[in-house]
Amino acid sequence: MAKQLRELNFEFKAETPKDFPAGFLHYGVVGSGDMEVIIEKKAMSGAVKFKVVTPVTGFDEVWRRVLERFVNETGISNASLEINDCNATPVVVSLRLRQALAEIG
Amino acid sequence: MSNKWDTLQSQSFLECNARQRAVGLVDAGTFTEFIGPKDRMSSPHLPLMGEAIEFDDGIVTGVGLIGKRPVFVASQEGRFIGGAVGEVHGAKLVNIVRIARESYDKMLAANPKLPEGKRPAVVISFDTGGVRLHEANAGLLAHAELMDQFQDCKGKVPVISVIGSRVGCFGGMGFVAAATDVIIMSPLGRLGLTGPEVIEQEMGKDEFDASDRGMVYRTTGGKHKYIMGDCNVLVADSIEAFRKALGEVLAKPYADLAAMRRIGSLEKVQYQLKLVDLCVKIAPKDSKDVWKYAGNKNPDALVDMPLDLFLKTAERLKIA
Repeated sequence: MAKQLRELNFEFKAETPKDFPAGFLHYGVVGSGDMEVIIEKKAMSGAVKFKVVTPVTGFDEVWRRVLERFVNETGISNASLEINDCNATPVVVSLRLRQALAEIG
Repeated sequence: MSNKWDTLQSQSFLECNARQRAVGLVDAGTFTEFIGPKDRMSSPHLPLMGEAIEFDDGIVTGVGLIGKRPVFVASQEGRFIGGAVGEVHGAKLVNIVRIARESYDKMLAANPKLPEGKRPAVVISFDTGGVRLHEANAGLLAHAELMDQFQDCKGKVPVISVIGSRVGCFGGMGFVAAATDVIIMSPLGRLGLTGPEVIEQEMGKDEFDASDRGMVYRTTGGKHKYIMGDCNVLVADSIEAFRKALGEVLAKPYADLAAMRRIGSLEKVQYQLKLVDLCVKIAPKDSKDVWKYAGNKNPDALVDMPLDLFLKTAERLKIA
């Protein structure tokens, strides 16, 4: 069986949640070592959920840590994030998510 | 990475992604995307092969205005699998051309006297290596369907190519671009059929050294294509320069645009055959040999010449 694209799902709640204004946002390009993200407002009782689609195996725990840290540091809440990844490193993932949030201003 | 029209205008066309090019090539605030990331219409084939997907399958399609013309735009993303044409990507590309032509038919049926300046046009921003090998049958079919759409557009909707992105325009999409009415390039744009790496792989490093970037650009780049007549308009590497060139091209009467084609009539085919004849006759070892034949006494000087001087100085190839 050939390897298939994988889907990872996470849900976090920021320690100090902030209001998240935008309804819909798309950011990034799925280049080699890069990723794109869709951020949508969603009533989640303050939580944030992630769906990551990636060809990478064996780094689920790294994803969890990077995304949890992003949620805690930005305070993003009540949102659904969908990521299409193409072998982005943790640093690139953090950077792109922050750049996406900066687009909202 | 902002998508704001004002900030995009001065940006390098080469550096811009597909969505930025689509937004920036039409008038400010007029671009509406069709089947964007929100629709999540990604490839159904790539996940089965463990390959990364993109929400828009590597192409941005939509409509905007240039002056009073509705301009249907397709813009390929070279960073996603080399901008290669898969099933969804191809369907979006083919159908934006179809929608442009159907809009033309409807608009002209409603108002047969509609001035040319208000009729639809198609602009394709190529950034592609051709067929996506992971879904090659669908990709090839899209090439054929696109050629069919161009045929249906003839006499109605002008189709303009813009080429100035990182990947360039290669493979089957090189044929597709050649079949459009007008080609606008920057010196950094590259156009060809077989890409440099593939030529080297098939014919050897002695025949074509793909690591010799100067030679690659001399052979496939905008300046060479302009001298050869494959490129109609050569512009600077900025969104604004491309947008202005588009505006000037689309202000011309349709008959002028149709006359800029490379193929499509017996005379044009005969001209292309004369080029093949010439190639045998002068047996060029480098594109500079052809530039010299075209009347450029010092072809070496053209290589790094600034664009405005190049446009004043360069002699373009003419065959009687």
